[in-house]
Amino acid sequence: MAKLDMNAEGGPKFMADPFTIPDIKCGAMEDLDSYMAHPKHNTDLGFPGELIDNWQEVAIAKIGELAEKNRAFQVYLDSCVKCGACTDKCHYFLGTGDPKNMPVARQDLLRSVYRRYYTFAGKYFPKLVGARDLTREVLDEWYNYYHQCSQCRRCSVFCPYGIDTAEISMAARDIMNAVGKGQKYCNEIIAKAQDVGNNLGLNPKALRATLEDLEEDLEEETGLSVRIPLDEKGADILLITPSADFFADPHIDGLLGYAKVFHEAGVSWTVSSYASEAANFGMFIGSYENMRTLSLRIRQAAIDLGVKRIVFGECGHAWRVAYSFLNTLAGPFDFLDQDYPIPQHIMEFTHDMIQKGELNFDKSRNDHIRLTYHDSCNVARGAGMGGYEGGQFDLPREVLKACCNNYFDMDRDTTHESTFCCGGGGGLLTDELMDLRVKGASPRMTALKDVTDEHGVTHMAAICAICKTQFSKVMPKYGYEMDSIMSVHQLVASALILTGQEIEEDTAPEGNGVATEVSS
Amino acid sequence: MAYDVNGATIEHDEEGYITNLSEWSKELADVIATAEAVDMGEEHWAVVNFLRDYYEEYQIAPAVRVLIKSIKKSMGPEVGNNKYMYELFPYGPAKQACKIAGLPKPTGCV
Amino acid sequence: MTATLFAILYYVATLLLVVGVAMKMRRYAKAPAPLKIPTMPAPRTMKGVYFRMFREVVVFESLFKSNKWIWLFGYLFHFGMLVVVLRHFRYVTYDIWWWLELIQPFGIYASYLMVIGLMGLLVRRIVVERIRYISSPSDYLMLILLIAIAATGMGMTFVQPVDIVAVKGFFLGLLRLQINPLPSSPMLLIHLALVALLMIIFPISKLMHGPGIFFSPTRNQIDNSREKRHIAPWAKKLEE
Repeated sequence: MAKLDMNAEGGPKFMADPFTIPDIKCGAMEDLDSYMAHPKHNTDLGFPGELIDNWQEVAIAKIGELAEKNRAFQVYLDSCVKCGACTDKCHYFLGTGDPKNMPVARQDLLRSVYRRYYTFAGKYFPKLVGARDLTREVLDEWYNYYHQCSQCRRCSVFCPYGIDTAEISMAARDIMNAVGKGQKYCNEIIAKAQDVGNNLGLNPKALRATLEDLEEDLEEETGLSVRIPLDEKGADILLITPSADFFADPHIDGLLGYAKVFHEAGVSWTVSSYASEAANFGMFIGSYENMRTLSLRIRQAAIDLGVKRIVFGECGHAWRVAYSFLNTLAGPFDFLDQDYPIPQHIMEFTHDMIQKGELNFDKSRNDHIRLTYHDSCNVARGAGMGGYEGGQFDLPREVLKACCNNYFDMDRDTTHESTFCCGGGGGLLTDELMDLRVKGASPRMTALKDVTDEHGVTHMAAICAICKTQFSKVMPKYGYEMDSIMSVHQLVASALILTGQEIEEDTAPEGNGVATEVSS
Repeated sequence: MAYDVNGATIEHDEEGYITNLSEWSKELADVIATAEAVDMGEEHWAVVNFLRDYYEEYQIAPAVRVLIKSIKKSMGPEVGNNKYMYELFPYGPAKQACKIAGLPKPTGCV
Repeated sequence: MTATLFAILYYVATLLLVVGVAMKMRRYAKAPAPLKIPTMPAPRTMKGVYFRMFREVVVFESLFKSNKWIWLFGYLFHFGMLVVVLRHFRYVTYDIWWWLELIQPFGIYASYLMVIGLMGLLVRRIVVERIRYISSPSDYLMLILLIAIAATGMGMTFVQPVDIVAVKGFFLGLLRLQINPLPSSPMLLIHLALVALLMIIFPISKLMHGPGIFFSPTRNQIDNSREKRHIAPWAKKLEE
């Protein structure tokens, strides 16, 4: 059981409960600025390199353009009645107390300008309806606070009209990019993905070396030739996974898990070096065009490799784009096998295998772990799974319960559609925003602490690359080990006994001291 | 934004990563390490050297797992493990060690 | 003179309300939703979407999940207002429909609910720090306007009764493009003036949340993006 150092000097504090509403602290986060994009990052994406001279005019025109091109933007700017239902729903507000992190207040940063230039009341009675001119201060405020929104959509669950702050924050970033005020983290990464094929900048040679290295590990562990094929034409399945799965911990353990499951399923599959990224940061900056460019790489890779199916790895925002947008952005996928979901999530694949009884688990291998599951925001509220309403909540849990004996859920109001964001989503997973990330994680960390206190929970599993990185950085600040965050397929991998795999005594509790062959 | 190495000025970005990778030198590594409050010892250098060799071959930093495996081979399992890497480089073997080794910052969800 | 003035006022207010709301709704309908963004989990059939929308509009489901106090006051206000407005139909119909007779006795109680709800919302807006922070003058004024309308309406029952037969005559006349006499009770005239004001500002204010919710993509879209390709006309052009 994790020993929690709750009162570490200067460290973050747990909340009394995950829903504790803080006192309002005006301006608490106003000095937090994420790094601006360099001119090259912006021009690579077709945006002006630096803030243009007539930025005000262009920004105002862009608001009008978006209102015509995007119904959600238009309806949500008009419909808010300031009822206050959303005010205590954002993890960044709960963690910081800065009132501009309340969803409605964040929307109002833009709504006030929209009203000034596009509504009768705002044009003639600005003070009355809280309308204001678009000044340099307002633009800077947009930049600051629209980069304190992880676009997790928790507020949209609770709004009586379904107003989604993510839509407003994406639009705001789109407007800022149009005038040359982009964010470094997102824009540098999008440019890299469009150039090299993934957010990391991992070239085909390095990718191949990494995968070969991992194949060695798998062979050493299982005694079997478990492959992670790259660019293999004619494979049935194209795996699209976040490049973090090729690089970071615990992501890479998840990749090993997919490989084992595919191996056991006996399917032919491949990774593509051309489309070696699941995550689509185009969504974060609200750029349909950039999101489309990145999505088309996946289509192209599927065509070039001649695959029949596309399966996505564990990545939250990627799954939202894949499940909800891919067909729109890069469809129709009439050249793929229509008998399978297009695209399919690795969780659906594994779950299916478990249902068919084709995976042999030794659950006791995960007995040192007392586990909970973090519903990643974009999977929970932005996508589906399993072909039925709410499948995205059941499938991961059923997979986890199939390979772990000790599973405990966190408070229901912090999971499923009400899940709290990890605090690092939506283009905020960058070091200069660490203060915000740590504070924004506090509702989740508090809910986790509650199950640690109650059930001795030691580990938390997630299916999002951002969640995994964010938690591995943030959990130590709350007294947990950095490896307390795990990939779901990492747990699958450690319990999965492959057909023909040799089991050594020290890893198999039931073993008799002699290597035994498992048959299925 | 620049490091000063024996009077020479070496540019770096907002986060301390040098902008011209060819300007790296062992002296610069010491300067960056000092700025990062890392006291460079033999083990730190083993990591930095591996990163630089790997980068030279692949133009990118290795996965943390690959790094650890290599260090485990060369310096034994006491050094070659995740936990110890974070003791050597508290801000992470990927990001902080890359900065000292003069490699670009790994980007993405990492 | 008063009758003529109010006749003009009501013709103008009705025109602005109908045309204004129609224009706004046309704007909403014309703007495409480029992507599938239902807040998940979402219904997988159109029937399911109707049911979701029904729950939002009839029982304020999301608001109930969110905040019980706002839900209670909001619901009392909206439900009370609905009954009160329905009850007002007797002033514009020659023969009273059977269901109007049915709700007739509840009108007074409904007006209590409406005022209690509005007062609750106003008190929360003033007392709760977070809601005070997000409130503009118009947000308070809107509540005060509605309270004033309700209060003057109730005033005509409890304080200063008016000749409602004459009022009905006036409105039935308007429907036939005739200007009939209007009682000059101050309570009535204030009530009518405020209602006309509400009608006029409806299309240019946050009151558009009423029609707006039906256009909200997070609530009215089906979760079928993998099965059926969704594409906006402007996005389709990118593919050419």
